Parts: sequence; structure tokens; C-alpha cells
Amino acid sequence: MILRLNTDIAAGTVGLVFAAVLWLPREEIGRLSIIFPRAILVLLCLIAVALIVKGVIRPGGRQVEITGSPRRLFTVIAGFFLWWGLVEVLGFLVTTLVAFFALTWYLARVETRVTWQRLLKWTPVILGLVIVFYLTFKEVLNVRLPTGLFF
Amino acid sequence: MDMLLEALASLLTFESVITVLVGVSAGLFIGAMPGLTATMALAVLLPFTFSMEALQGLIALGGVYMGSIYGGAFTAILINTPGTPSSIATTFDGYPMARQGRAYEAIAAATIASVAGGIVGVIFLLVLAPPLARWAVAFGPSEMFWVAMLGLTLVASLSSDSLLKGLLGGCIGILLSTIGVSPVGGESRFIFGYPPLQGGIELIVALIGLFVIPELLTMAAEGRGALPGQTELRKKEVSILSIARRIFGKPVNLIRSCLIGQIIAIIPGAGGNVTSLVAYNEARRFSRDPKSFGKGNVDGVVASESSNNVMVAGSMVPLLTLGIPGAPPDAIILGVLLMHGLRPGLDLFTESGVLTNGFILSMGMAALLLLPVGLLGGRLIHRVVIRTPYYFLVPSIAMVTILGTFALRNSLLDVGIMLILGTAGYFLRLIGIQPAPIVLGLILGGIAEEGYVQTLMAAVVDPIPWLRLLHNPLSMVLAGMVVLGAATTLVPMWLARKGLLDRVDEDDGRSP
Amino acid sequence: MKFTYKKLVLAMTAVAAVGLAGAAHAEYPEDDITYIIPFDPGGESDVTARFQEPILEEELGVSVNVTHRPGGGGAVAWSEFQNSAEPDGYEIIGVNIPHIIGQPIQRNNAGYETDNWRIVTFFHSTPNALIVHNDSPYDTLEDLVEDAKENPEAITLGGSGTYSANHLDMLRFEKEAGIDLTYIPFSGTGPLKGALEGGHVAGIFNYTMLGTEMADSVKVLAVASEERVKALPDAPTFKEQGYDIVGGAYRGVAVPKGTPDEVVETLEAAFAEANRQIAEKQEPLGFVMEDITGDEVDEVIGMLRDAYGPILEEAE
Repeated sequence: MILRLNTDIAAGTVGLVFAAVLWLPREEIGRLSIIFPRAILVLLCLIAVALIVKGVIRPGGRQVEITGSPRRLFTVIAGFFLWWGLVEVLGFLVTTLVAFFALTWYLARVETRVTWQRLLKWTPVILGLVIVFYLTFKEVLNVRLPTGLFF
Repeated sequence: MDMLLEALASLLTFESVITVLVGVSAGLFIGAMPGLTATMALAVLLPFTFSMEALQGLIALGGVYMGSIYGGAFTAILINTPGTPSSIATTFDGYPMARQGRAYEAIAAATIASVAGGIVGVIFLLVLAPPLARWAVAFGPSEMFWVAMLGLTLVASLSSDSLLKGLLGGCIGILLSTIGVSPVGGESRFIFGYPPLQGGIELIVALIGLFVIPELLTMAAEGRGALPGQTELRKKEVSILSIARRIFGKPVNLIRSCLIGQIIAIIPGAGGNVTSLVAYNEARRFSRDPKSFGKGNVDGVVASESSNNVMVAGSMVPLLTLGIPGAPPDAIILGVLLMHGLRPGLDLFTESGVLTNGFILSMGMAALLLLPVGLLGGRLIHRVVIRTPYYFLVPSIAMVTILGTFALRNSLLDVGIMLILGTAGYFLRLIGIQPAPIVLGLILGGIAEEGYVQTLMAAVVDPIPWLRLLHNPLSMVLAGMVVLGAATTLVPMWLARKGLLDRVDEDDGRSP
Repeated sequence: MKFTYKKLVLAMTAVAAVGLAGAAHAEYPEDDITYIIPFDPGGESDVTARFQEPILEEELGVSVNVTHRPGGGGAVAWSEFQNSAEPDGYEIIGVNIPHIIGQPIQRNNAGYETDNWRIVTFFHSTPNALIVHNDSPYDTLEDLVEDAKENPEAITLGGSGTYSANHLDMLRFEKEAGIDLTYIPFSGTGPLKGALEGGHVAGIFNYTMLGTEMADSVKVLAVASEERVKALPDAPTFKEQGYDIVGGAYRGVAVPKGTPDEVVETLEAAFAEANRQIAEKQEPLGFVMEDITGDEVDEVIGMLRDAYGPILEEAE
């Protein structure tokens, strides 16, 4: 998918928005702690403005291209965040198994239809992979993985 | 000399060799996983070394350290994801090579460069430790400020298409580093009233997010694996001997990178995160064909990987002589030394010389063992990455990424930060803001801030406080280098721009 | 499933214990204990915990898992602990003075309170020390004070962190001696050694450990403890030289409020035993072993809060 977008102006806007997000809701900060970030914030704004000006006068890239399918892109983004959000509720092991299956199924559909037989064939591989990593982190590396409702 | 021989003898036992071998292999595995750092590998191993003798324990730790720094190269080359911060520069040329079906060539080059770098570092440590230590402490607050600035001049060369966008990315990175508790002043900043944010944005978390997530999203959207299939690969496989001949045939790049690695490794605080970037930058600057960098030039991989493995032994110089850890993993080695009643200092090289030399030599042995372990392991991992269909690869990498990010600080918030930065990174890359300058800003922001504010604080009695930044010859030389470095990158760029006004942004071979 | 089941069992044993008066708690511990270190691996808190781990395991008969939760100078772990840890003794956390006193006063929202837990014990302390390099013109504390009177603010002293134990005691010293010094915060002890060796600061205000670690190249002008520290027999205290300054960092462990007394006592005993066994390793490094439990904990916190509070409020 190709979008028409002046990338210079877009980048400049991103810079300004980022600066505003940091600067506006800040609480009171002492002189020593603010001196450096403030200098960089000013610099950021100058660069952002320069980019916008350049974008108007002599634009660089005028289009951006999302390679592949945008719908898959956004679905996978949503999937990752859902995965993260559910870890706290369902615990790491359950969530990861579910997410792993769902993602594999969703992505495999691109090539061919996914039959029940294929899903079944994957089960031992996915189970093995997730459990090996789970146990390595939990037992060997002593990481306290989120437990949630079950494990 | 006797001590060296004695140390060598104690090292050439079956037990020691096995310890190093296991250490290197374990380190390699950990280093190859995004999120698991060398520091963490050493911390996990620490309790095991309690029961060992001092030398045996140190040997194991040295092996793990060497292996984990090298292991980062695998993922950097195969899936465009630096496993450790020190292999960021390896992605620049390593991944394009892999996309061209030259992954094994890149891995072999990285291995040979790492072995060479590791051994050079050990030799420096054995021969030059005491004089080099003097150099390490010469870096005070004002000097550190200039070192960080010098690092930031790299932004210019990291931003291939637009300097302004590169600088913007660098600024964003620096600002991200200021979230949390300020290094000087101790207050919390930019936490939006949310206490857990006091922990700030950890470098590794940002690194994983900005590099891995965009790659995963691209793979998912395009419905393809990280690398082209196997059939394409066979044709281009090159023998290891010819790669070695290529690297050692024109040794200037290797020698330069090793020297840069050694010089930077000694500066406490800057450490390995920057060495590979600087070495890469210089390799490109001095190359006859700088345009080919970033598109799969094997010299880029060699520069990055040799310099970061020099750092392993190199950063031990201030540690063993003065007790100053040159890089984060060194803090753990220091803990082990103290625990066994060994106080860093010159005594370490005389009284307990056998032990110290044994430790140093074991790192050399670890470097040598990287060759078989790395080539075998590399072939294995490479095959796995190619054979695995993308619909398995994406969730697998995502799982490891989430696990690794979580394990870093036992923090689910970090996982969220990683995902947010990663998603943002994907879209920022679309509009021309690359992840490398952002990460560079994040690495150097803290160093620059600390140096700057400390210098100004020390200068309260001076009439013009900021003149302190240039108060001694070393800081002046460094400041001069910053100006020079910026000029030598900017001027040619400017000239090129003048001739090519309508240059369309280059898409450095990332899209298929 | 395992988790809820275990809770059920615990609850049932607790009910049974009403009849058997405390017999149920004699069972503690019966499960793994998680020992949270709110700092990075490799630091003093971490190394100490690694020393304690095997001894605690032996004493308590269960495995003790040391995990790290660094961030915000400890604040991230502490706020999380106060918000979510169960008062059953299976989750314990390392606590440090003066961090837990200073951060809540100084930050807008540190996310935790100094008193909102039960501190089991402070097992050791590291007194502050004023250290200069061998090449320094100052041989005694008096030399330094005299020079500072002639050149106010010109003497730079490095220390670790802002409003840390180092910083606060240096401010007290300034008041006591009526001088003006300049404090430069560094991040941790590693960079401090470099700053001293390289002559980037006139001296450092840090812990006694640095004095022993760098014994060959430094002079320790004064130590902020009641008596001289075993590892530095030649270093005089501030008190001996007429300045009433006793302070430093205290390390200990805490459990959530409402943890049963029996559990706390079991932990106290285990940590005391650990201390006995690691004393011979830690004392030569400059640590001072302590066994501060029960009401003494409040006394120590109270004393230091009185000493540091006014300085912190002033800085606000």
C-alpha cells in the first residue's frame, strides 16, 4: 500500500508532538535535573521546525510504502498488545500458548487454508517450544514469570 | 614470564578446557537471545562459581562473557536484531548480506573477526594493562561529555537519507533516556505521575523494541521469512578459507577496528555499546567504496565484530588494575574477585599473578574456541532460521522477545514499553527516522548529561562555568575531534547534496 | 491452579491453628522464598544476598530465590512490593537506608512510604568515610577544613547519588564545621574510583569499603561511625575529631505489614545466622555487621530521619 505523505513534514510533526507530550504535563523539576533535558527539547523543536520548513520548500520523500498487507500488519500489532495485556490475567504460560497458536494459525492462512489436521500436527511442536522456554526461564534463570489465574 | 607459563599449564587441563567450552557455548546461546545480556548471564552463573576454586570460577565467567558478546552477532545477521547492544553495527551490513543469501558468509566473517578481536584484546591486557590504566582514569566528567558528543557525531553517518531526520531521532533517543530518575539531582522526571516509570527506559528494552518488533511486523505483513529460501543460498556459499583470506589479506580494517575497540573499551562507562559503532563508522570513512556500506559490505561486519570482542578483555584493564568496571558485566567479575579476597591493583599481576594470568589467558582460549563453537552453532542457527516457516518464526521470536524483556528487570511494564517503542519504530522507519540514531541517543544521553552537569557543578566558583568543559588538554583534544569528526562527515555530504538537489531518498535495500 | 490450592491449604491450616495455638506457623517456611533485590546485579546488595542465599536455604530448609527488580534507585521495586506483596513471608525485599527515608520526601511521587512495611532486620551498615588520594595536600580532616574556610566551594567532593547517605552526611559535615564544599554526585562506586584516581575531584565522601578496596592509593581522613571500623584501624572517626556525625547506609530486609510475628522471628534468626557466617568475609571489606531488629529498627530510622529530615526539607 502506498500512501501519499510528505515525510519531512510528518517527521517534523512527530518531533513536535513528542516534545509536547514530555514538556506539557511535567511536574516541578529542580534546576539540576531539568537543565539538560530542556536544552535537548529546544534542540528537538528547532530540528523539527527546520524539517517542516524543508518539507514545504524542498520535500524529500513524498510517499511511504507499507509493504505487504496493512490489515495483517495492524492485526499482528493488536495481537502483540493483547498478548501483553493478557499475561497479567492468565499468566505467562497459558497466554503464550494461546497467542502462539492464534498467531501461527493467522499467519499460515496467508499461504493456504489451514486444516484441523495441520493444526494438530503443530501442537506438539508449539507445546514443546513454549514449555522448554518457560521452564528454562523459570527454573534455570530463576525469573518470576507472571502467574495469573492458573500457573 | 614464569608466571605466564605456570598459568598456561594450569589452564591446559581437561577440566579447564571443558569449563571454557561450556562457558562459551552457554554464553553464545544467551547472547543470541534478544533481551538476555552478558551481565545477566554472568549474574545467573555467579552462585555456581561460589563452589568452584577462584581460577575455575573466573575461567567460567570469562568464557561466558566472551561467548555472549559474540552470540549477539547471530541474531543481528539473521533477523536484523542485535542480541546485545554491542552488535548494533553488525546489523547494518550483516542483515543485508543475509537477505542476499550470504548469511553464512557474514556469520563466518563475524566469527573470524571475533576470534581475532578477542585474542588481540587479551594480548593488550597481558602486555599493556598498567600503562593503559592511567589512560582510563584520565577521563573525568568534562572528558566524558566530549566522548558522548563524539559518539553523537555518528548520527550524521547513521542517517543515510536525511541528516535532519537522523538528528531528530538522536534527540528523541536522548529525551527517552531522561525519563525516570535524573542521574544528577535524583528527582523523578517525565513520569506522568506514574511511579513505576521511575525505572526509566532501559537501553536493552528500547533496543529490542526498535529493532525486533518492526522486523516481525514486516515479516507478518509481507508473509515471508527473515531470509530467502535455501535454494538461493547454495549457489552463493563461500568457503571459510576464502573468507579468512579476504579478512587477513587486507588487514588494515581489522587492525584499525581492534585499536579503536581497545581505546574505547578502556574509557569507563562508554564501553562496548559504542565501540562497534565507532569502528563501523571509521571503516566506512576510510573505505575506498563507502557507498557499499549498509548494502552488504563484509568489511562492516568485520569492523563491528572485531572491535566489540576486543572490548571483552579490553574493559578488564581498568577493572584488574584499579577496580573500575569498564563495562556493566565487569561489575560482576569484580564481585567475584573481591569474594575470593583478591583486591584489584598491581598485586593482582605480581602476587596472585598466576591466577590473574590464568584468567586472562582463559579469555584468549575462549576466543579461540569461538571458532569451532561459533561456526558449528552458526550453521545450526542459520539452518533453523531458514527452514522454519515464517508463521512459526514470528510467534517464536515474539515469545523470546517478551520473555527476554520481562526477565531483564522482572517487569511487565518493560514489555509494554518495548511493544510501544517497537510499533512506533515501525512507523518512524516509514517516514525515514531510523532506529539506530534513536538507540545511539539513548546510550549516550545519560553519559552526556552526567558529564555536563557534573562539570558545571564543579565549576561553581569559576567566573564562566562552562569553560570547565575545556579545562585540560585532553578535553580540548576531544572537543577538537568532535568538530573534526562532524566536519569530515558533513562537508562531503553537503557537497554531494549541492550536486544532487533532487536526490530521492534511498531505500537502503530493506524492502524486498 | 497450584497457587489457589496452596492458599486453600494455608487457610485451612490457619483455621486449624486456632485450636493448636501457633502450631501452624511453626511450619513456616514450607515453600520457596523469593528475595527481591531492588538494584542491579553486581552491587553490594546483590553480592551480600548471594552470600546469604546458601546459608538462608540451610537455615530455613527451603530454597531462596534471589531476583532483581532494579529501577529508580530501588523505588520501582519498593512501590510494587508495598502495593502487591502478600503478608505471608514468602516474599521478602531488600531495603536500604537512607533511600527509603530520602526518596519519599524528595520525589513528587515515589510510590511507597518509609513505614509501610515491617522491617525484619538491618543486617549490616557501611559507614560513610571521607577519602582523599595519597597525592592530596590534605593529611588530616583539619587540613581540609582550614582550606575550605579560605576557599569556600572550591573543594569538590564526589559521592554516589544525590541526597544519598554520602550527600546527606556531607551536608551535615558542612554545617558542623561551618564550611562550604561542593558535592558532585556520581552514579555508583565504579566511576567514583576513577574520579579519585584521575584527580577529577579533591576527595570523595563514600563508604568505608572504598577505603579498604583502594587502601594502597588513598588516605581515609574520617569515618562516620561511633567507633573505628575494624577494617580501617588507623582511620579516625568524625567524633574523635570533634564532629558529631554518625551515618551511612544500612541494608536490611522487609516483609509486608501484617506478616505474622512467628514468620518474622524465623527470618530474623536465619538472617542473624547468615551474618555470623559471612562476617569473616565482609568485615575485612569494610562492612559493619549489625543485628538491628524489632523496636531498634524504628529507633535507627527515627534517629536518621531526625538527622537527615531537616536537610532534605531545606533542599525542597
